[in-house]
Amino acid sequence: MSVAEAEAAELSLEDQSGLWRDAFERLRRNPGAIAGALIIVAFAAVAVFAPALAPHGPNQQVGRLAAVPPGPSAEFPLGLDQQGRDVLSRIIFGARLSLLVGVVSAGVGLTIGMVLGSVAGYFGRWVDTAVMRTMDLMLAVPQFLLALAIVTALGPGLVQIMVAVGIANVPQFARLLRGSILAQREADYVLAARSLGAPGRRLLLAHILPNSIAPVIVQGTLAMATAIIDVAGLSFLGLGPADPRLTEWGKMVAENAGRLESAPHLVLFPGFAIVISVLGLNLIGDGLREALDPKLKS
Amino acid sequence: MFKYIVRRLLLTIPILIGLSFLVFVFVRTLPGGPGIALLGERATEESREAIERELGLDKPLVSQYTTYLGNLVRGDLGSSIVTRRPVMDELLERFPATVELGFAAMLFAVAVGVPLGYVAAKRYQGFLDNASLFGSLIGISFPIFFLALILKYVFAVKLGWLPSIGRMTVTRSLEHPTNFYVIDALVAGDVAALTDVLKHLILPAIALGTIPLAIIARITRAATLDVLSEDYVRTARAKGLDPGIVDRRHVLRNALLPVVTVIGLQTGLLLTGAVLTETVFAWNGVGSWMVNAINARDFAVIQGGIVFFAFIVVVTNLIVDISYAFLNPRIRYS
Repeated sequence: MSVAEAEAAELSLEDQSGLWRDAFERLRRNPGAIAGALIIVAFAAVAVFAPALAPHGPNQQVGRLAAVPPGPSAEFPLGLDQQGRDVLSRIIFGARLSLLVGVVSAGVGLTIGMVLGSVAGYFGRWVDTAVMRTMDLMLAVPQFLLALAIVTALGPGLVQIMVAVGIANVPQFARLLRGSILAQREADYVLAARSLGAPGRRLLLAHILPNSIAPVIVQGTLAMATAIIDVAGLSFLGLGPADPRLTEWGKMVAENAGRLESAPHLVLFPGFAIVISVLGLNLIGDGLREALDPKLKS
Repeated sequence: MFKYIVRRLLLTIPILIGLSFLVFVFVRTLPGGPGIALLGERATEESREAIERELGLDKPLVSQYTTYLGNLVRGDLGSSIVTRRPVMDELLERFPATVELGFAAMLFAVAVGVPLGYVAAKRYQGFLDNASLFGSLIGISFPIFFLALILKYVFAVKLGWLPSIGRMTVTRSLEHPTNFYVIDALVAGDVAALTDVLKHLILPAIALGTIPLAIIARITRAATLDVLSEDYVRTARAKGLDPGIVDRRHVLRNALLPVVTVIGLQTGLLLTGAVLTETVFAWNGVGSWMVNAINARDFAVIQGGIVFFAFIVVVTNLIVDISYAFLNPRIRYS
């Protein structure tokens, strides 16, 4: 082995204990995070393979119309609704919408927030002031209320609530990223890259952003959890998807809230579907936060 | 200290002006403009123009905004298009119900959350610690309306222990000088009414207080853990102080500092939660009022409600900052 090869081997050995590898190691030892990961993998699998997994179509009438629909039975494990549709199948198909809502809402918030936050943090001065003061204003309005206001303006509907919840998420991400970038901007490796003549855009995209991203990922997971809850809440208030063929968990709970006494299965099962999927995201988010927190590293 | 309060007060003014501007712009971006929003899509051209003239919408934007801001400063939020009454009057009528509910919820959250978090930290990584951490995660994973429905189902419908809707049994008569029913009952010296009102408060307060409880428990735990590893705690123990005294005077007192902030910061969450909780429990407060307004597309009420909620949040943040400066000298002098 030549000296160069030996040095390369040594370097790759050092690479092994990076932030992400350490984080992954810690995540693997955290039973909560494992449980969360399992829940989310199952949740995503159900959403993706819904047509194969569901015994019936979400809007297929498999039983009789009934004012008081039958509860769980051997044939229909989660019972039927008043239109004779299979609740289990509806919940399985509902997973698609919840997953979509979580990903899109958090994605909208993260993307816009990241752009605003990094621009503010990187350019500083008046850009920073203008962006961050606007974010402060948005933060003064409680998040769910902000989303509520935006949906009221846009009108009810699936796309509208996803956009609304996403926009309501923007200030958090913007603040987080700005703070993280401010901390990184003065770091030695950024100074080194700058003195080597790296242009501003490259500094931001190749050096600062990748190193500021850890807290954003944690926040992203937790934002997905909140998004699912908020969308269900908006749906509960009657602002959700207007199309009756779309099955959404929050809407299922809302439509049957008055039947809690006569047919509790119509409310409890979709409700617990929300709780379990949100719990999964919260468990992972928490695990990630602990795993990525450098303070806990030692 | 005085300088700090003044500076903090002055900082609030641009925030409030900015907020009013945001809401002003928001209403102007409504589909079809405020005229259509007020009258509905089937309004005739003439009636739309008439109402826009009446609202001053034909004037230049700058003068519209200054008029709007002037009204806002005088506490004029416009009139509801459904009831034709001033939005401020309706708001003040219903606000006590929401405050009462929010206060009860916070009381529940603090009374359970602080001891829970503290004990969890003292038993760090023990069974109780893990159980309370997991429990609080479950707590924040519950959509508030679902929790409210379950509580209502179990304790009101199935067990029949507590009433399921409203603030008081409908047939009961009670004078309402303050609209805070608990205070009204106390003022009247009516024990039966007080019991009735408190019974109606329990379920909504638990539903609304559960998420703040989970957050407060986690913060208390984290803060206590921080303080427990401080040098002054070790010193206090090393010099042979009674462990109970160390816990009370050194640990708890310092650990509660961040908790105070968090309690203040829950106001937004409480107001938001009130929208959903009040809907489930038919609670006649600001939250259910807003939901009705949304369904009726009563934009004056929605707009007024949002400005008001934001105002409350800004003011509580101000109070939290100032009280924090009282509690923590390090902030006062920075």
